[in-house]
Formats: sequence, C-alpha cells, structure tokens
Amino acid sequence: MWAFRKPIPRRLEVFLGLAGLFVFLAAWQGLAMSGAVREQFLPSPWAVVEAFFRLFTERDFGADIVISVGRVWYAFLLAVVVALPLGLLMACYRSIGAFFEPFIDFVRYLPVPALVPLLIIWFGVGEASKIAVLFMGTFFQLVLLIADDTKRVPSEYIESGFTFGANQWQIMRDIVIPAALPNIVDNLRITLGWCWTYLIIAEIVAASSGIGHVIWALRRFVKTPEVMAGIVAIGIIGLLTDQAFRYLHRRAFAKQGR
Amino acid sequence: MTYLNIEQVAKTFGEGDDAVEAVTAVSLGIEQGSFVVFLGPSGCGKTTLMRIVGGLESPSTGTIKLHGETLGGPDRRRGMVFQSYAAFPWLTVEGNIRLALRYRPGLDRLERSHIARTLIALVGLSGFEKSYPNQISGGMRQRVAIARTLASDPDVLLMDEPFGALDALTREHLQTQLLRIHREAAKTTIFVTHDVDEALLLADRVIVFSSRPARIVEDMDVTLKLGHERGQDMRDTPEFIALRRHLQDRLRAEYATPERHVA
Repeated sequence: MWAFRKPIPRRLEVFLGLAGLFVFLAAWQGLAMSGAVREQFLPSPWAVVEAFFRLFTERDFGADIVISVGRVWYAFLLAVVVALPLGLLMACYRSIGAFFEPFIDFVRYLPVPALVPLLIIWFGVGEASKIAVLFMGTFFQLVLLIADDTKRVPSEYIESGFTFGANQWQIMRDIVIPAALPNIVDNLRITLGWCWTYLIIAEIVAASSGIGHVIWALRRFVKTPEVMAGIVAIGIIGLLTDQAFRYLHRRAFAKQGR
Repeated sequence: MTYLNIEQVAKTFGEGDDAVEAVTAVSLGIEQGSFVVFLGPSGCGKTTLMRIVGGLESPSTGTIKLHGETLGGPDRRRGMVFQSYAAFPWLTVEGNIRLALRYRPGLDRLERSHIARTLIALVGLSGFEKSYPNQISGGMRQRVAIARTLASDPDVLLMDEPFGALDALTREHLQTQLLRIHREAAKTTIFVTHDVDEALLLADRVIVFSSRPARIVEDMDVTLKLGHERGQDMRDTPEFIALRRHLQDRLRAEYATPERHVA
C-alpha cells in the first residue's frame, strides 16, 4: 500500500476514491448537524441535494443550464475555429509566429475579469458581451497551446514529407495536423474547462439567465442550499464534458498508442 | 562525371565567435547503384554532409549534383531513413507506405496497391499491413521506414544510422535484410554509421571522415577486398578482421585528434 511510485490494485484505487468522497461528505454532514455553524452558512449535504431538485421543479433551471452550455460551446467553438489555423500557421511559418506572438503574449496576461467592463461598454449587456468574455479568456491561450503542440511535431516527420515530394500544404494536412492532433485534443479539453470559469463571471456581472445568474440571484435571498446546488451543477457538467473528451481521445488514439 | 557528385561542400553553423565548422571542403563522386558508407566518429559532421546531399541542410559553399544537375532543397529524388521517428504512429504499416505513394504522379489505384504489397513483402512485413507502429517492434518500424522511403522511388537512398537505436541481434537481422533489399532494389545508397562492422558488412565503399570538421581521410573500396557477396558469417574471416582493425585504428586516431576550431 505504501510502495513508492508503484501502482496499487484497481479495487483499492476505487475504494480509496469512494472513501475520500464519503469522508468529506460525512465531515460536512457532521459539522452541519453539530450546530456549530448556522444553517444559513452551511446547509447539510442532503439539503443541497433537495435544493438541487427544487431548482428544477420550482424554477426552470434546465433552461438556464441549456443557455449556459450553449454560451460556453458557442464561444469555445468560435475560439477553436480561429485559433486552430492561426496556431498551426504560427508554428509552421516563423514570420507569422514572430508577428503575432508578442501581442498574444501581452493579451494573454490581461486578467479576463478586468476586461469585463470594457467588453460591456463595447458589446452591451446582451449575448455578445458574454461570448466576447469567453472568447477573450480562451482564444489567446488556445492559440499558443496549439502552436506549441505543432512545434513539438518532430522535424524528421516534416523532412520525410518533403522527401516524398509533398508540398507545404500537403505536409500540413497529411503530416503536421495528424501528428499534433492528440495533444491538440487534450488542450481543447483543458481550455473548455476554463470557459466555465469565465462564463460564471460573465453571467454574474450582467445576465438575466444562465447558471451564474441563478446562483447570483438566489444569493440575494440567502438561499445557501440552492447556491451550493448551482455550483454542484457546474461541477457535474464539467465532469461529464471532461469524460466525454477523454472517451473520444481514447477511441481515436488508443489503438495508435498515443 | 559520376552519378552523384559532392563538389567542394563545406558547412559552417552559426556566425562570428559562435561559428562551428561541421564539414570542410568535401568532394566525392558516387557511382549509380553503389552502396557507400560514411564512417566517422560521433558528431564529426558526416550526418550533416548527408543532410546536405538530401537537401535538408544547405551547404555554406559547394554544390550537390545528380546526373550533372545541381540540386537544391529536399524532393522526391532523395529519400531519407532516420534513426528515430521513423514510421508515423497515426498510420498503419500499409498507411505509412501508401502516404509516400500518394505524392508519386502517374500511378493509378491498382498500381499503388500493387507497389504497396510488393514493398511490404520486400521488407518482410506481410501479415502486418493493418498494424500500427506501436504494435510492432522497433526493428519492424525501421523496416516500415525503409519500405516507405522506397515507395517514393528516390534516385538516392540516404540512411542516417537507421539501426543505431536497435539491439545487437535485431541490428544484425536488419543488416542482412538490407543487403538483400539493396540487391533487389539496386538504389544508390549513402549509409551513415560509426559502427565499423556495419560499414564493412554493407558497403561497396567506405568513406572515413575525420573528427569535426568532417574531411575525408580514407576512401576504401570494400568490394575489391571482400567481394560482392556479404553475410554475417564473414565477420570472422581473416580479411574482414584485418580491415576492421585497420578502420578501427583510423577512427581511434581521429578520436585522439583534438577538434580543430574555426579561427
């Protein structure tokens, strides 16, 4: 059980994972029941579960989830559509990389919440400003990640391509992209997670719908169980998306040992 | 004029105080269909010279000529087998070979299939067409790379220590296979190695290079001394042992020489 950097039996691994979760929930439940903390601050886990279902029955939380998920994917796909070709070109043509890198590095370090007021001035409080916040938060990171993945393609692959008589465009399509794809998919998965962070910020600041808006609105009535249930909902959506990405990655690349 | 000519080729990397001379004024003519081994100490610049022949590195001075025509950047006339990163992991054995065929003009579907099958058989990989590189051994992956390079039907085959990362037995096996493949495909080949036995076993001609910057210190006609037919069992013959000792002494002398730097 204490072997240094050695695997443990699969069953023990599953057991420990469940035990960790259980201990956390038990400690939470114990603390809530002890009366040491007021219920307004710390409702019991069960109260949160009840609140979770109340969100769906008493208000239309399903619609808010759909709206939030829609915003995340809309902005994420927009970022991917621009970042993918740009990242590939930046990595393959040094002149394009040299042109964009300093600017992107600068924007990348701007904290997205600081941009929210500006984006609201530019795009108003409608959907556009939310998409803009998410786009700003993911696009600039994603471009550099994709460029890095592309640069890590061994130069032998590309040189082989030239000796086959392939042109630059064919090498990009037939060699560079397939070689970098597993790492790119991994980075898409990670970046999609960041989208959620920025979405909640955007929805808290200015929105009349979405998960972030619901959490913020319920806060005003100190409905702590509902607030916590909203947070749990984000966690569940994130977990499911992440697992879906991992599943696709395995389906596509496991056979190739990548 | 011979088939492939290296004319007064020199290469210096970097500039000013950081300049490193890798190859110094090498001239060499190579006959069509011959198997030439570049032998030299590690890091001596023999790989750089071969990459210049392949168009993957441009010479600081000098030219490479094929059939009298001056060559530039990489193209289908010069195929390259690398030491590692040989087969593309996202393609099957057959897919790797078909990729190189895709860029060859004037082949219809039937011809492509036929060539792919022939080459897979030539390198002894029949039955593994649908395997991915990670499902086969390192030696088999190197054979995929050889077949793939032959698929683009280059005039010159360049091999950069292709068996350098393999274990001794696999290496011997592949050397024997390469002898057979060279007999059948009859490609003009330049093979880079620092392994004396490998050089003597494979080469029609061994070019021995100095330590950096690379310069030719010996040009040995091996066919003259060992004949055309080669095999692993030759390693113990008196002729082979004598040549091995001679070449080893040559290389030792080069290791003893301190690197000459650009002034």
